[in-house]
Amino acid sequence: MSNILVIEDDDIMLKAIRNILGKDGYVVITAKDGKEAFEKLENADYDVVVTDLMMPYANGLEVVSRLRSDETKRNVGIIVISSVGNEETITEAFRLGADDYLKKPIMAGELLIRIRKLLSNKNSTSQLVTKKK
Amino acid sequence: MWKDLADLLFQAYEQYSLLPLFIEIALAFIFLAILSTLIAYSAILYKRYRAYVYEKRLAFISPKIEDMITEQVLLNPNLGYDIPLESIEFDINALSDKIYRKAFVRQMLIDTLIQYRKNFRGEVGELLRKLYIDMGLDKDSFAKMKTLRWERKIKAVVELTQMDIPISDVTILPLTNSSNPALRAAARNAYIQLSKNEPFKFFDIATEPLLPWDQLEMFKIITTTKDIAIPNFSRWVSYSTNKSIVSFCLELIAHYDQQSAIPAVMELLSNKDHYFRADAIKCLGKLSAEVAEDKLVKIYNNQPLNCQIEILKALGRIASGKHLEFLKSEFLYSSNFDIRMNAARSIIKHNTQNSRLMLEELMEMTHEENQLIIKHCLNPLIKY
Repeated sequence: MSNILVIEDDDIMLKAIRNILGKDGYVVITAKDGKEAFEKLENADYDVVVTDLMMPYANGLEVVSRLRSDETKRNVGIIVISSVGNEETITEAFRLGADDYLKKPIMAGELLIRIRKLLSNKNSTSQLVTKKK
Repeated sequence: MWKDLADLLFQAYEQYSLLPLFIEIALAFIFLAILSTLIAYSAILYKRYRAYVYEKRLAFISPKIEDMITEQVLLNPNLGYDIPLESIEFDINALSDKIYRKAFVRQMLIDTLIQYRKNFRGEVGELLRKLYIDMGLDKDSFAKMKTLRWERKIKAVVELTQMDIPISDVTILPLTNSSNPALRAAARNAYIQLSKNEPFKFFDIATEPLLPWDQLEMFKIITTTKDIAIPNFSRWVSYSTNKSIVSFCLELIAHYDQQSAIPAVMELLSNKDHYFRADAIKCLGKLSAEVAEDKLVKIYNNQPLNCQIEILKALGRIASGKHLEFLKSEFLYSSNFDIRMNAARSIIKHNTQNSRLMLEELMEMTHEENQLIIKHCLNPLIKY
């Protein structure tokens, strides 16, 4: 069972994503802002982080940046969900290390497929690393 | 008791009438001030109490509404199996709960559904719309459209637009020309989003102006709405008597690069209104209308400053190279700073061998201020 951290400041969206992912069998932990997310990231390991961009205390780009600069969390899959659709922000998110970007309004099915794909890529990479060793 | 009170008041009045006039006036003012303070405080308290009650209700009902939507839509077992949405049925018992008969709960339900729709599209988005219709919430929105209060009408228009519910032309078209600017803007935006065949039909009947802020909002909607039928905007450039509509259409012509509109836009060059002419020149420049270049140069000397600047900018955008000498002479001999600046920018915009040679020549032969203008215009960080 994969652990997913969902970071979103909109209550409705947070609850909705939690329900959708929970229905698909994932263990979902939620955080309402960047500060809460950092605390939760410190205390547990996650397979995927789904984050919004515009949030209080620390925005999504800071979350992505911190995850990628931390040796122990470098392999966490990151999906950014945002209503911001300008090219600069999207490329900045990818430059910092996001694996995927979904623009709001999102499709629930699409989010699930992207998470599954991310997890399967992650699994095959870790298998490859184990074999090499 | 009432008699005693009446006696007391009468005595007070008698005493009051014996006082000097300025004391009487001062007392009257004090009395009025105390009374208005009391009224204001009571109104504030009443409003706060109502907001408190609303918050309490919201806190109680919101989780129920969210749970219902989660159950019926997000966790709907039929989602993801390619089942046609029309054949997906909701749990009637959940939908027919007594709580959903109350007007304020229904309004909260509409607001929450809209919130969800802003976040989800695809199957979930469509199912949210189906829930809105199946619960008869569209009827609530239509009922709001019939009220006389404009703010409720706006709310209704926004709700129906967000839920993608078609509104008949008979209902919405008159609102697009309402004298109330807020209602007019909401109705126009809704019409563009909801009308599949002729989203710009209201341009034909619009007599009220399209305000600059509304133009921005509408431009955003037009350029972001999917599958919108884009007409040839030259039709309104030629026939509309509404100046703001014509100006807006010129912007749209440039944005959609409607080359077929060039003759209609050129007609505007002989319009009496110089603001119109400036808009038309700008549009021709953005369309890179080479056919208009000679005419622009020909009319240049008879134009006011704003049109002259637009002509110089247009020549830079078209950049055919035919009028480099004209730009050079404007740069060298004009006494107006803006004209020299725009002439220099337009020469640079050409970015051809001839234009580069011309710039070098100008740098050598011209005076210090003009050299500074060229250096400033050559700075790539300054956008043109």
